[in-house]
Formats: sequence, structure tokens, C-alpha cells
Amino acid sequence: MKKQALIVAALFAAAASVVAVLATSAGGGTRSASAKPITIGISLSLSGDFSDPGKAARRGYDLWQQVVNAHGGILGRTVKLKIVDDASSPNQAVSNYTTLITRDHVDLVFGPFSTLLTAPSARVAYRYGYAFVEPAGGGPAVFQQKLPNVFFAQPAPVINCGDPFVHFLASIPTSKRPTSGAYPALDDPFASPIAARMQGQLSHKGVKSVFKTIYPPETTDFSPIVAKMASKHPQLVAAGTQSDDAYGLVRAMIQLKLNPKFVFLSNGASSALEFPDKVGRSQTEGIFSCGDWFPQAKNQGNNQFVAAYLKKYHGSALAIDSGSAEAYAVGQIIQAVAKKTHSINNKTVIKTLHKGKWPTVEGNLSWNKYGAPKGSDILVEWIHGKLLPVWPKSLALHKPTYPKPRWH
Amino acid sequence: MHLVVQAVILGLLTGGVYALMASGLTLAFGVMRVINVAQGALIILSAYLTYTLFVHAGLDPFVALLVITPGMFVLGMLLQFVFIRPLRSEDREELSLLVTWAIALGIEGVLSVVFKTTYRSVNTGYTNATWDVGGYTITQVRFYGFLLSVAILGLLFLALTRTRIGRAIRAVVQNPVSARLLGIETERVAAVGFGLSAATASAAGAVYAMVYPFNPNSHYDLISLLLTIIVLGGLGSLGGAILAALFMGVAEAVLAATISPTWAKLTFFVALLTLLLIRPQGLFGVKARGAI
Repeated sequence: MKKQALIVAALFAAAASVVAVLATSAGGGTRSASAKPITIGISLSLSGDFSDPGKAARRGYDLWQQVVNAHGGILGRTVKLKIVDDASSPNQAVSNYTTLITRDHVDLVFGPFSTLLTAPSARVAYRYGYAFVEPAGGGPAVFQQKLPNVFFAQPAPVINCGDPFVHFLASIPTSKRPTSGAYPALDDPFASPIAARMQGQLSHKGVKSVFKTIYPPETTDFSPIVAKMASKHPQLVAAGTQSDDAYGLVRAMIQLKLNPKFVFLSNGASSALEFPDKVGRSQTEGIFSCGDWFPQAKNQGNNQFVAAYLKKYHGSALAIDSGSAEAYAVGQIIQAVAKKTHSINNKTVIKTLHKGKWPTVEGNLSWNKYGAPKGSDILVEWIHGKLLPVWPKSLALHKPTYPKPRWH
Repeated sequence: MHLVVQAVILGLLTGGVYALMASGLTLAFGVMRVINVAQGALIILSAYLTYTLFVHAGLDPFVALLVITPGMFVLGMLLQFVFIRPLRSEDREELSLLVTWAIALGIEGVLSVVFKTTYRSVNTGYTNATWDVGGYTITQVRFYGFLLSVAILGLLFLALTRTRIGRAIRAVVQNPVSARLLGIETERVAAVGFGLSAATASAAGAVYAMVYPFNPNSHYDLISLLLTIIVLGGLGSLGGAILAALFMGVAEAVLAATISPTWAKLTFFVALLTLLLIRPQGLFGVKARGAI
């Protein structure tokens, strides 16, 4: 009997130790599961037409990953980015996000570069219930889809780019405001709506429209356009431009000696390195543009972003592409949601982001129900060879200077 | 009226540059029946070489031509030797489209890797300089480009009419079989013709780099423009290409200045289609092989 009791006791002990071991390993398993990295899937244009801005976005994402992991990750888990190339193709981007979600089962997805790729990709994310915080899809095509999972990580939709310039003009004495305006614009879903919106706003404020044209994307010779514009003697030129057309337009204005009191170019002139290189630094003086980010901004984490960027990629702060800051802001938004809700569940992320303001390097962001930001871009101006924020006053590093000096 | 005259002046200067760019394309077709859709890429390659020599060696684009032109001539001969010569003569016109398209994509790929897709331009001290003549503006860089076009096209004309190899080229254009029977080494002539075609791209590239911002993708817009010009002028006709280029430059500028830039492109293509319906061989082309 005694022997049987001993055997039973031994069996109990063995069973208990097996249970203990299993419990330990199960517990360990739970810990290891919780320590499993958070995987974030991203499709980016690392080749093809958008490869340069795509790579700039990648630098922003990579930098955010490095910074966040250096500070313990998110919810105690390290962040792992799974970035795949879409070759600047919308179809490939759709395919990439489908694969990232359905095959790789990533925890979250971040957006690609440009509206062209963001619009169809956002639909894929919506179909599978994923939040779609995105850095570069700010065109109407994205918000017109009315998807509740989209959040554009910039202060304002792209077509509102001219708003701060219009507000600035409204703030100056009437006698110094332009009385006539010319509105050339690239035939492009971003550029021409900006010029049209500005024309409407300024006409409403008494600026007479004397010239308007939309030129095709393949236009290389801007001199006939500028010749016609010059014949109307506008005091303001507000152009919806992208990049090379902005350079061509300015060069033609210099050559044909069209000297308006105000020049605003929606894009192209906002590049701190490219623009002076293409038109000559001394000719940039007094040209306005719009921007969503600048290196001196006092926004959440901006100093840390700039310092980390320069440490990792070298160069100067002025050379940092705003596309990197936009991508970095996407990461900051998710980080902030996780901190607030202790969750990275996509449903929670979507629900949470529809309320409140979210501080990022791009400013304090908030959105309408379809992901369009409610803020305003920054008016920037070329002053003494530097691109400086000049409006709104709260963000300005310099007073706006006007009228624009003559070309020389 | 002032606006129209100003537009005509601007158009003529632009048309001169177009003529230079199109001359190489029409030469390649005239000599070898090769539709060289890589001509646009060769021009952009030359623009990058001009840019590199300007930025890193401080060479003025017009001086840099002395270095780039021989290099492009050799590259043209090499391309002909490696890619065009192996094509069977009976399939050459069709296959050359594919082969030269592949060359264009190859050049674009290399340029994208080396220079990225950022736009570049060459800003010399006279890039934005102008003359005022009777109230009309003449941009100096385009005027120099126009003069260069006239000089290169004049040299090309002299080479084709006054030199032995030029006469051989014209003989091959007119009747390759007879030319071969008379002892002309047609393949050698073809290589020289392709080399000359690429050499014109060097001058066109230098001017392009000074007048327009460019990136590796710029050749797509260029080649569609150049093909339009040589079709309008008549495939293989140098004189036709020059006149068509001038016509296109002026028509574009006048229509852009008086109607709209979008209509300028559309109206031009409508005119081209109309002409081709009436005269399918273009303004100066001939139905059979003819004089260049």
C-alpha cells in the first residue's frame, strides 16, 4: 500500500512537473508572442517614374522604424517594415497590398507614394478592414472615394495649396494688392484645380482675371504662353505647376521680361535644392510657393527627425525631401494611437483617428470622415536665396516680402 | 499683331532646334531604312554628357560639342554594328523599330541609374540673356542654337553632296542594289550614316540641355515630336524635315500664343493627318526610294 502510495505520489509529482513545464513553456510562448515584432506592410515606388519620391518616402519610413525601435518599439514590440517595390504602377501597388494583407498577414499597412497609387491601394485596405494612413495621396481622387479608413498625413489636401497665399494677399493693404491676375496651369489632376481654386478666390476678392490657360504635360517651350501672358500685363501670376514646367515657366518669364508684382507657383518652386539650380538662385527672389513641412518647424518630434535624418543620411537639413517627413509622420500617428489606446488593432486605429488632433512633424493633424486633413499648408517664399515659411504668422520665420523684384 | 510676330520669331528659333534634332532621324531612315526611335534617347544622352562636362569640367556646352560629337559618332557606328547590321535587310524597317526601341530603353535605364530621375538643366551665363530688336525679344541661347542648327545642317549637306562618302550615302539611299554592284560597301556606308545620325544628336542634346529641363524620360516626348516632323516632311528627306520642323515650331508657337497650348498640339496633328490623307508620302517624300 505504502509502495502504491509512493508510486501515485511520484506520478503526481511527475505530472505536476510536466504541467509546470508546459505551463512555463506556454507562459514563455505567450511572452514570445507578445514580443513578436509588429509587421507593417508598405508598397513603395522604388523603381519607375516615381522612384525618387518613392525612395524619399522610404527614408522617412526607415528612419521612423529606427527611432521607434531605439525607444522600445510600440507596446513593447519591435517594429518591422516589409517594403515591396511597385515600380510606380497602380496595378502592382494593388497586388502588393493584397499580398501583404492576405498572404503575409501584416499587422498594419502604410501608404505608397502619390494619389495615383494611393487611391486604388486604399480600396484594398478598406476591403480587408485595415487603416490606411498615407503620406502622399492628397489629390481629390483619394477623398472622393469616401473611405473611412484613409488618413492623409499632411496638413491640407493638395488642391488647397494656394489658400495661404490668398489669405496673405487679403491681409495686405488694398493699395498694395494686385489688381489683375494670370493663371497658367499644367493639365494635371493636382495642378490645374489649384490654379482654378485660386482664380475663383482672388476674383471674389476683386483681382481681375486677365489670362488663363491649361497647357499639356508634354509642353517644353513656354515662351509662346508667356508671350501671350505678358501682353495682358498681369500684376499677379498664380500658376498650377508640378516641377519641370515651373522651371520652364520661370525661365520664359525671365527671358520675355514679364515682371509681375507677385508670382506664386504651386509646386516646383518649393524644392529648396532643385528650383535655384534650374532657374538660378538670384532669380528666385520673391517667388511664393506652398509647403507642408520645413526643417525649422517646431512641430512634434521635428528636431529629432531632422537630427536622425542627418545622422543617417548626411547632407544638409535643406536637402531633406518633405516626402521623408511625410512618411515619418505616418509612423508617428500610429505610434500615438498605440500609446493612447494600447492597441494596434485596425478597427481601433480607424475609430481613434477620427477624433482629436494628432501631433506629428507635419503639425497637428485632424481629418474629416474621409481622410482629408482639416489644416492649412504653409506659404513659403524665396528670400535672400533661401526658402522660408512666411505665412501663417504663427509658423513664419520671416515676414513676406513684396512686391517681387524685377528679373535681372 | 505684335504677339503673332513675336510668336513667329520664337517659333522659328524653336523650329531650328527641332530641325537639328530631326535631321539625324531622317538620315538614318534615308540611308538604312531604319526608323531609329532611339534618336530621342541619344539626344537626351548627349544632353547629360553636356551637363556633366558643364558641371564637372566647366566646359561651355558649345565647346563641349568638340568632345561629345566624335564620341557620339563612334557610339552610333557601334550601335549600328552590334544591333542594326545583324537584321535581315528584308525585315529591317519593321525589326529596327523594336531594336532601336530596346536601345532607347537601355539608354534611359542607364541614365536613370547614374543621374536619377531628377530634372537637370544647363544654366550658362547667357541662358536667360535676350536681345530686344524693334520691340521683339530674341533669346540668345535659342538664337545660338538656331545658328548651330544651320551650321550643322549645312555641314551635313556639304558632306552629303561634296564628299566621296556623302555621295556613297546618297547612292545607297537611291538604290542600294546598284550601289553595291558599283562597289560601294553598303554596310560601311550604313555604319557611317548611323554615326552621322548620332553625331547630330550631340549638337541637338547640347542645345536641348540649355533650353529645356530634362530627365531620362524626356526622350518619350522628343521622339513623338521628331517622328511627326519626319513624317510630315517626308521620310528620308533632309530638306523636308527642316521645313517641317520650322513649320511645326512656328505653327505651335502661333497657335499657343493666339488660341491655346492644348489646341496647338491638336491642330497640328489634325493638319498632319489631313496632309497624309492627301499626300501619304509627306511634303517632300517620294513613293519609292529617292534623293536625301
